[in-house]
Amino acid sequence: MKLAPQSIPYRALQKAAGVAVVLFFVVNDGGWGFPVAAGAGLAALLVAGAYEVAYYRRFEYELTENTLDIRSGVISRREREIPYRRIQNVDVSRSVIQRAIGVAAVDLETAGGSSTEGSIRFVTPAEATRLQREVQRRKSADSAAGGSDASGESTGPVEEDLFAISPRELALVGALSFDGRLIGLLAFAGSGSIPVVSGYLPDVSALALSAVAVAAAGALFLVSWAIGAAVSFSNYYGFRLSRAGDELRYERGLFRRYSGSIPTEKVQTLTVSDNPAKRALGYATLSIETAGYAPGQGGEYGSEAAVPIARVGRVYDLAREVESFGEPSFRRPPRRIRWRYAFRYALLLAVLVGVAFAVDWYLAAGIPWYASAALLLAVPPAAHLKWKHRGYWLGEDHLVTRNGFWSRSVRVVPYYRIQTVIDSRSVFQRRWDVATVVADTAGTSSLTGSDAAAVDFDVEEVEELQSTLGDRLQEALRDRRSGGSFEWLEGGRETGAEGAEDDVEDAGDAAGSLDGDAGREVPDEEAVRPDFSASNRDYSEPAERVDTGEYAVDRFPSDADVANRPDGEEGSTDAVDGGDGHDDADGGDAAKEGDGDPDDSGETGVDDDPAR
Amino acid sequence: MTAQRLHPRVRVVWVLRAVLAAAILAAPVAGAHYLGYAPRWAPVVAGAVLLALGVVHALLRYRRWSYEIREDALYLDRGVITQVRTTVPLVRIQHVDSRRGPVERGVGLASCVVYTAGSRGADVRIPGLTPDGASDLREELKRLAIRADGEDAV
Repeated sequence: MKLAPQSIPYRALQKAAGVAVVLFFVVNDGGWGFPVAAGAGLAALLVAGAYEVAYYRRFEYELTENTLDIRSGVISRREREIPYRRIQNVDVSRSVIQRAIGVAAVDLETAGGSSTEGSIRFVTPAEATRLQREVQRRKSADSAAGGSDASGESTGPVEEDLFAISPRELALVGALSFDGRLIGLLAFAGSGSIPVVSGYLPDVSALALSAVAVAAAGALFLVSWAIGAAVSFSNYYGFRLSRAGDELRYERGLFRRYSGSIPTEKVQTLTVSDNPAKRALGYATLSIETAGYAPGQGGEYGSEAAVPIARVGRVYDLAREVESFGEPSFRRPPRRIRWRYAFRYALLLAVLVGVAFAVDWYLAAGIPWYASAALLLAVPPAAHLKWKHRGYWLGEDHLVTRNGFWSRSVRVVPYYRIQTVIDSRSVFQRRWDVATVVADTAGTSSLTGSDAAAVDFDVEEVEELQSTLGDRLQEALRDRRSGGSFEWLEGGRETGAEGAEDDVEDAGDAAGSLDGDAGREVPDEEAVRPDFSASNRDYSEPAERVDTGEYAVDRFPSDADVANRPDGEEGSTDAVDGGDGHDDADGGDAAKEGDGDPDDSGETGVDDDPAR
Repeated sequence: MTAQRLHPRVRVVWVLRAVLAAAILAAPVAGAHYLGYAPRWAPVVAGAVLLALGVVHALLRYRRWSYEIREDALYLDRGVITQVRTTVPLVRIQHVDSRRGPVERGVGLASCVVYTAGSRGADVRIPGLTPDGASDLREELKRLAIRADGEDAV
């Protein structure tokens, strides 16, 4: 399918308008006269237009059975196929101008790559919505293993509203979204005007000057607050979150309308965050992370699907809609750890006092440098609060962690989503006999170092937690496999729960029995299972050499046509590597055979295949 | 598989790296001396102290480093100042590299890098392997990852 035709002039203007204007002024200033300048500007526009026409003609996308194909590129051409199952989010955005001329930008995100993988600019809004729905429909049809899902043929599942922002909440979002960075920016921009201003008031008293400074600081604060409020107001205007089948949909934005979809099965982490102000008012923020967005792409608002603000109870209800994690009851770090925080803060304070003293001594200004020592009183409560707001909880299917007082975040990580588990102990932590466990997921905001972490727990507890997380992940994987269809067999044939479990156990058995000769024998009841046990080889030592003459030989070819492998060859490899090659080969067979019916698998062998 | 240690020669790589780091960090001090801001002994002392720290760190690092392939995960234990133990479930392995940098080639070693989709421990490097060992480890991890079958790795 093609892009919307009106995208040609829009794209051309978008790209070349700036260049054309600059060219116009440069040429005009260069004394070439108006006609030449206008010509130069026009030429730039024409070039851009021609390019865009070519782009339009080249750009084609197509929804095939399993993939979304995009063919594009004028100078270097690219054909890209994105399997539906790998698509994480589909986002549609329309700025004011785009709305006026009736186009929309569609972005498809997968977990790979560093930028948006499928970017379709621009199609008509109706087509954008159709793409969004169609991708979802085909994806769910895909994962239903070819089951003909006739019910959602064209209409799709019914949309059910989860959350719509009320004017009151929108006002709160604006009021509570104070961005400290804006102050810095404005102060920097404003500092340029100080010499200018001071030129006009040469003879005023210090009092008046400091009054002006205070007023300026106040104004700065107010302005940055107003800007922050305006930005988040326009961002979250008309926010709506709904659920359609296995997908979440959101819509938001005043000037630029965003809408998007997130499959619930792709959710990596849920984060409920709040700060003291929100806590006092009983509100919180929810954000939903998928692996789709490239770092920094979501902008400062992080993942696109965040409930900006809602009552705490509401937020947890919504979160449970996505991941039913129950009622967490957090375990806190040991109490003694409060001393660690107290020491840390006291040290910081000492440094602060030292700096104040140094400034005083250097300027000889008589600043009451010791005044900051009064903050010492705040150290014990601060340490206590820090300790109080830490914790973790192991739910049935989720790890929930909590950290931070000023901006507290509660993270919910399904065990199934854990990528790696990291246990780290800094020098200082070792002094206190504590450690940190981080459960890393493929989400994005974790790049800023805010993973789900259980910080400062006893070493023994941490070790246990680490192994528990590993075990729960394996369990979750097993559940998934036996629950859903068994998709690594081509076409996703259904294996019963027992079949899948057997598989796992058998691999374990093979590992256990490898030491003896038993591993060499074909198990009587089952097809020959691959041997996947880890070898005892020490990889820092040179490998045993196999003389293959002049050729490099892959001893474990994963794609070998094993059925036709001569027996003699099998024997010779076995002699060297202790059976890996043999069993691996048969494993390939078992998979290829792909029967998967638990009843039949009893007498399967390679030879059975043609009989069916 | 029991916990594996790195090849002893990896210390050479790390010590060389420490020498380089010490040289780079001592360079500004030497510059200060050249411009007359620092006494003659300052760059020498700075370099020596940095070098000693770097070498001790490299040796301790070697003593600390170990890895292990267990039934369902790859375990790494490393770190001198902050001790880190990483568990990489085999299901989560996306791809595996074996690679050899110029210094590693010089001392006849190689390393193996395991990638996951995670954000923090996204790539885990196992240094100090023989070239054959590295490619065998790569193959082994590949095999184990295929077995573990990360159907939906993300």
